[in-house]
Amino acid sequence: MWGFYFTELMHSLPFFLKGLWMTVAVSGLSLIVGTIIGFIWGIMRASGNKILRSIIGAWVDLIRGTPFLVQVFIIFFILPSAGIELEAFPAAVIALTNLAACFICEIVAGGILAVPSGQREAATASGLSAYQQLRYIVLPQAMRTIMPPLVGQYVLLVKDSSVVSAIGVVDITRVGWLTVQRIPEGLMVFGLVGILYFVICYPLINLSNLLERRMTVVSTRL
Amino acid sequence: MKKGKVFTILVSLAIFFSFLGIASAGTLDEIAQRGELRIAVQTQGAPFSFVDRNGKRTGSSIELCELIAKEMGVKIKFLNYDWDGLIPALLSKKADMLAADMTPTLKRAMKIAFTEPYMYTGSVVFVKQDSPIKSLEDVKKSGTKLAVLLGSTGENDAKKAFPEAELKTYKGGGPLLINAVLGGHTDAGVNDGSAVTGQSASFPPNSIRILEGQLSRSPLAFAVRYDSPDLLSWLNLFFLHVSLDGRLEENLNYWVNSLDWKKDH
Amino acid sequence: MLETFNFRVILEYMPLYLQCFAATLWLSALSLLGAILVGIIACAMRLSQSRIISRIAGVYIESIRSTPLLAQLYFFYFGLPSLGLMLPEWVTGIIALTLNSGAYYAEIIRAGIQAIPYGQIEAGIASGLSYFQRMRYIILPQALGMTIRPMLGQAIVLVKDSSLLSLISIAELTRAGQLLTSDRFMPAEGFLTTAVFYLIIYYMLKGFSSWSEKRLIFREAH
Repeated sequence: MWGFYFTELMHSLPFFLKGLWMTVAVSGLSLIVGTIIGFIWGIMRASGNKILRSIIGAWVDLIRGTPFLVQVFIIFFILPSAGIELEAFPAAVIALTNLAACFICEIVAGGILAVPSGQREAATASGLSAYQQLRYIVLPQAMRTIMPPLVGQYVLLVKDSSVVSAIGVVDITRVGWLTVQRIPEGLMVFGLVGILYFVICYPLINLSNLLERRMTVVSTRL
Repeated sequence: MKKGKVFTILVSLAIFFSFLGIASAGTLDEIAQRGELRIAVQTQGAPFSFVDRNGKRTGSSIELCELIAKEMGVKIKFLNYDWDGLIPALLSKKADMLAADMTPTLKRAMKIAFTEPYMYTGSVVFVKQDSPIKSLEDVKKSGTKLAVLLGSTGENDAKKAFPEAELKTYKGGGPLLINAVLGGHTDAGVNDGSAVTGQSASFPPNSIRILEGQLSRSPLAFAVRYDSPDLLSWLNLFFLHVSLDGRLEENLNYWVNSLDWKKDH
Repeated sequence: MLETFNFRVILEYMPLYLQCFAATLWLSALSLLGAILVGIIACAMRLSQSRIISRIAGVYIESIRSTPLLAQLYFFYFGLPSLGLMLPEWVTGIIALTLNSGAYYAEIIRAGIQAIPYGQIEAGIASGLSYFQRMRYIILPQALGMTIRPMLGQAIVLVKDSSLLSLISIAELTRAGQLLTSDRFMPAEGFLTTAVFYLIIYYMLKGFSSWSEKRLIFREAH
């Protein structure tokens, strides 16, 4: 029975590769823009004024606390009634960028707050401006805490990108659903879907491990 | 600290509900001006709407839509969603109409306008080839596990016909029901008869057996928004024409009433 | 879609929502406990002196992290029966969620352990504490305390991931919204209500984590 389906599945491989490309395009774009926005929000969240901090905080809570599917639906189906009409692809990228920015904001803010406050005080005492403090004292140290979870987060976001298939973006997961209609062996079809995600995610995970090893000196063994 | 948290929650809720907005209308004129008919479809499986082995979207509903666009003299654009996205797509005017093998229930018709039905079908019960279940009577036993599709007529029919049975609701298309039955997750499945026949064709021959008798007779129809009465009456006229000139019958005979399509797709 | 937002129909579906809300709560709670346990064990293995044990845990963690939960769920749902293991849906669901989040918890706890000055562990060994005593009195209390934030983050991911269980016919929160949508064709009502319930869980988890963080810091100070 598996042989019967396997030939069929191999026939659909080009379709799967198209889906792979779509996943890479949506998540790649969103991760790049999301990282930039996330860093800006994160820095504001860790330092900025109180009102700015609670607005960003509330937004992050809202995005982290609700299903991504609902966010995608709001951007794609409900914003048009406010006059903002978007195609599926840009809507997907906007939704995922926002999600990425929110998660990255938390990681960045956490990293900045983990820098001992003495460092900052010393910098102030040495007469460094707020920008100089951030640029030369705080961020370089915070990056050590930020980098490993940041790359780990990328992996999660690549996988979250599968949700955008609900608004008609034909990504890997969507291709899986379309194929399973014709080749009704869920295990095999989604096995292939899993392998394709693995192809994207595994290098990222290795990168994250590498970064972590380079940034920690001791290797703990229990 | 406490106050800050309450404030945060309030801001979240305010942002959430500020998405409640206002909108305008869409008609046949709009379609003609645009030169493009936008149709929301789902890919629920053969023979209505599926992607064939060449990666091409096809099926009974799809060909009907292509005929509609041809008669309108406009291009066609298929917007492909899953079940969750279908209704929002129509209501938010992303799509002019909805073409899925959807049952026009009275509750649903409170929200969207259905065309005259273009065909009738009925739910059937299917089991594994070697299942001890022989007739619909056997299914009525309490504790029988039934696989149904979320939001399908089969789901409603199963609830009514087999109140003692345990329903397991799946999503993602008819073939998954057959999978659930073959995988032993349920004893039987309930779905639209033509869908079961069409979809069982992609399984090894004689995997499943359809029990004799239909649970219901239900219409299938396309749908539009209530603010497009012009499109609605045009579609009804379209169905009248194609059923008079035999093109509807040709479509249904090829896709639904036989497995002729299997050769080509 | 929102101009005709119907609160009455939401009330009508409230019993279903509450029932499904309860299901999401207990499914996530069980999976969360399981995942933290699996995480602790996998992490202990990952940091083991033995290369082989460490490698086994590594393979588990990395293969889970680089494939989507959907593929894993299908593996358990359609794969286990072909090995002759037929489990009820909710057990399959909990196993999939537990093993999925377990891998992430292993990484989170590892980061926490590696942040503990290694001297403490060496001191533990020198004072003749056994492996389990070191775990129980030195490593875990600190590692768990330090990682409450990322643990919370993963708990939220787990709760939202549990929505995938509706695919294997488990009635949970997302399913409630889908039912309302497909019975009445009221997607805005269905999905926004679902989102509000997820948001409630989010704030519950957030409250719990800041409460336990405070408690742990308080205990440390004394």
